[in-house]
Amino acid sequence: MKIRTAIPLAAILAAAGMVDAPAQGFMPDRVIEVMVHSGPGAGNDVFARSVIKVLNEIKAVPQQMQVMNKTGGGGLVAMSYLSEKKADTHLVAVFTGVWWVNPMIRKEAKVTMKELTPVARLVLEPAVMTVRADSPYKSTKDFIEAAKANPGKLKQSGGSLSSRDNSYRFLLMKETGANWQFISMKSGGERVAALLGGHVDMMIMEPAEAMEQIRAGKVRVIATMMNNRLASMPDTSTLKEQGFKVPEVPQSRGFVGPPGMPANVKTYWEGVFTKMHQSSQWQGFLKENLYEDGFLTGAGLNAFVDEYANTMRGILKEAGIKIIR
Amino acid sequence: MDVLTGLMQGFSIALEPMNLLWCFIGVFFGTVVGVLPGLGPSATVALLLPLTLQMNPTAGIIMMSGIYYGAKYGGSTTSILLNVPGESASVVTCLDGFAMARNGRAGPALGIAAISSFIAGTVGVVLLMLVAPPIAEFALRFGPPEYFALMALGLSMVVLLAGKSMIKALLSMFLGLWCATIGIDLFTDGTRFTFGQIELMDGVNFVVVAIGTFAIGEVLTNLGVQSSGQNFTVPKGLRNLLPNWQDLKDCRFAFLNGSLVGFFVGVLPGAGSTIASFVSYGIEKAVSRHPERFGTGAVEGVAAPEAANNSETGGALVPLLTLGIPGSGTTAILLAALILWGLKPGPLLIQDNPQMFWGLVASMYIGNVILLILNLPLVPLFAQILRLPGYVLYPGILGVSIIGVYSVDQTLLDVWLMVGFGVLGYLMRRLDYPAAPLILGLVLGDLMENAVRQSLMMSNGDIAILYSRPLAATMLLFAAAILVGPLFRQVNSWRLKAAEQEA
Repeated sequence: MKIRTAIPLAAILAAAGMVDAPAQGFMPDRVIEVMVHSGPGAGNDVFARSVIKVLNEIKAVPQQMQVMNKTGGGGLVAMSYLSEKKADTHLVAVFTGVWWVNPMIRKEAKVTMKELTPVARLVLEPAVMTVRADSPYKSTKDFIEAAKANPGKLKQSGGSLSSRDNSYRFLLMKETGANWQFISMKSGGERVAALLGGHVDMMIMEPAEAMEQIRAGKVRVIATMMNNRLASMPDTSTLKEQGFKVPEVPQSRGFVGPPGMPANVKTYWEGVFTKMHQSSQWQGFLKENLYEDGFLTGAGLNAFVDEYANTMRGILKEAGIKIIR
Repeated sequence: MDVLTGLMQGFSIALEPMNLLWCFIGVFFGTVVGVLPGLGPSATVALLLPLTLQMNPTAGIIMMSGIYYGAKYGGSTTSILLNVPGESASVVTCLDGFAMARNGRAGPALGIAAISSFIAGTVGVVLLMLVAPPIAEFALRFGPPEYFALMALGLSMVVLLAGKSMIKALLSMFLGLWCATIGIDLFTDGTRFTFGQIELMDGVNFVVVAIGTFAIGEVLTNLGVQSSGQNFTVPKGLRNLLPNWQDLKDCRFAFLNGSLVGFFVGVLPGAGSTIASFVSYGIEKAVSRHPERFGTGAVEGVAAPEAANNSETGGALVPLLTLGIPGSGTTAILLAALILWGLKPGPLLIQDNPQMFWGLVASMYIGNVILLILNLPLVPLFAQILRLPGYVLYPGILGVSIIGVYSVDQTLLDVWLMVGFGVLGYLMRRLDYPAAPLILGLVLGDLMENAVRQSLMMSNGDIAILYSRPLAATMLLFAAAILVGPLFRQVNSWRLKAAEQEA
């Protein structure tokens, strides 16, 4: 018989011989499922697989880690699945900004980030404002002036109304009084194709997405959207530098566990991600994909969960999106 | 690089024993998952992704692409034999393929599907190799108004899918269009007709509707028919189990039409092989000298869509490899694989990694030959399935359908929806409503709505944007011609009748 754990369910599982974990040091003993709320091939999916790849390389987890794609409801299916797997010790999920936004705007949502168990924030994704390489706009100022001269005529391709691209659009329109169209498109591929084909004038994308198009001379970055310049684009000025007082809309990715994740399991994962964060492989991954290091655990992460909820609530309100909770 | 030297180099890479083995494994798995309804190439490629990350990129992409185009071969099998679409692009194949099976020509139908897949698959690779960059540039000229026109052209095919009654076909199509509105609205983030079900927020899965209306509808219909054992006749002798010379001759144009339409639609991001198969079927019927044979077992009705959905693979690889833009579910996973290998997909991918590109191209030539060799001998074997008596066959279809539908998203709601659509399919059959327009509406509805709303946002509500751009206008004219065509024939027949009465 194993030592009794604090969580009754875990004790039952342990008694049944399904979990071989002593109370203090948790050690996974079967396949670990890594849930992703988007389909195979999407950004989150690639992110999850990259993390698994690094963890395998540094041998941080003794068990196999397997991606599970729980798509649907723009992330809601994954969130509610996780909320139903209380105290599942072999399940973690990748979170992004929609995990905060969804419960705010959808009544179907069953849980918020606060009720789940955030384990570690790993990256912050910068954003850049891009135009086609032959576009007359050399800076965001050029674009804004053109938009002012032709209200409602310029176009931006992007995702849904509650996406980060649209939040930035609203903030910029509010700040400058300019006005342009936001054309929602389903996939990132369609959005980039619309920009390259000249059907829209501007798109806000992630640097990794833009980099190859820039290298091929197809796309030009007219501003970076973060408070500080990007290491990968040291010569491109930020929105702030160009004189636009627009708050940074952060986008983060990290890992979250089911509600009531036992403390020793949470500690285990914090240890794993801390080890990963220190590895040269992970630092290489961040650099290659033009991510900013956003490593955060423990109390700092909890504070971020609240702070981010407030930021997003404010931005969505400004953007005119109905908040229900 | 010169095409010829590139290709020579490609073959030297693709013919390395290990790469050849991976190519074989890929197309073999592809065929298997293609035959199984529900489990599609994208799910399989995703499943094998972790494995391929251990391989070198060239071997990996050879295998994953093999699954992708291999699945297109297998997709027709259950469509023809059981009226169960193996994957979305094979719905059209059901129409004439299953009719051929009923006429005791399952073997020739399967054979034609394999041959047409081979021809189109090869044409797709040739075009990928020769015209990828310019055609990708051309495809970029397709903006929302052009997509709208393409969808309108697709929807106009309803005229050609209609049986006796145009009204019934239109009603069926409108039902499909309505189903397409279920889910989250892209433009307002609101939900439509989801009744609080999270599972419905991404809309009704196409596979669920297709398998429900076709397969379950078929089974229910047959329950009502008193039959003694075997329902199909399967002729003996290998000769009758393979297509004859006349079949091949009848399909000459279908091979070409399907190959070109499939490739071009494949190049357009987000359009998809289902549209390609519908459009090529429509074209085939429109130009046919005996359009009345379509739906009753016309061999061209199998050849055209099967060709289209196979050359679509070559097309779909074009934006992925030349622009770094994935156009379909499966190519999105290939993109992920390229990123995970550290290859930096984008406009410079081919230039930076010529071995990978040419190795892939060469392997696709080889893979298509392997697929033909693999699939043709299976034809007589598969055709024997129809010898099974009804009490074995129909429960079998039910089982395969339920597993297939469940495997898509692992949700029971889908299975119940399938049952619902099965009942609907049964009623439609009894009341003589064609089911294909329903599928057409469902597939195109979403894309068309997005395109029209995007267009109107671009123009601030000015509807002229839809027809004032030359490419869009051309496609709309074609659509109008297709729509008006039967009306002309109708008027003509009235005139003839009137003339007869006068005489």
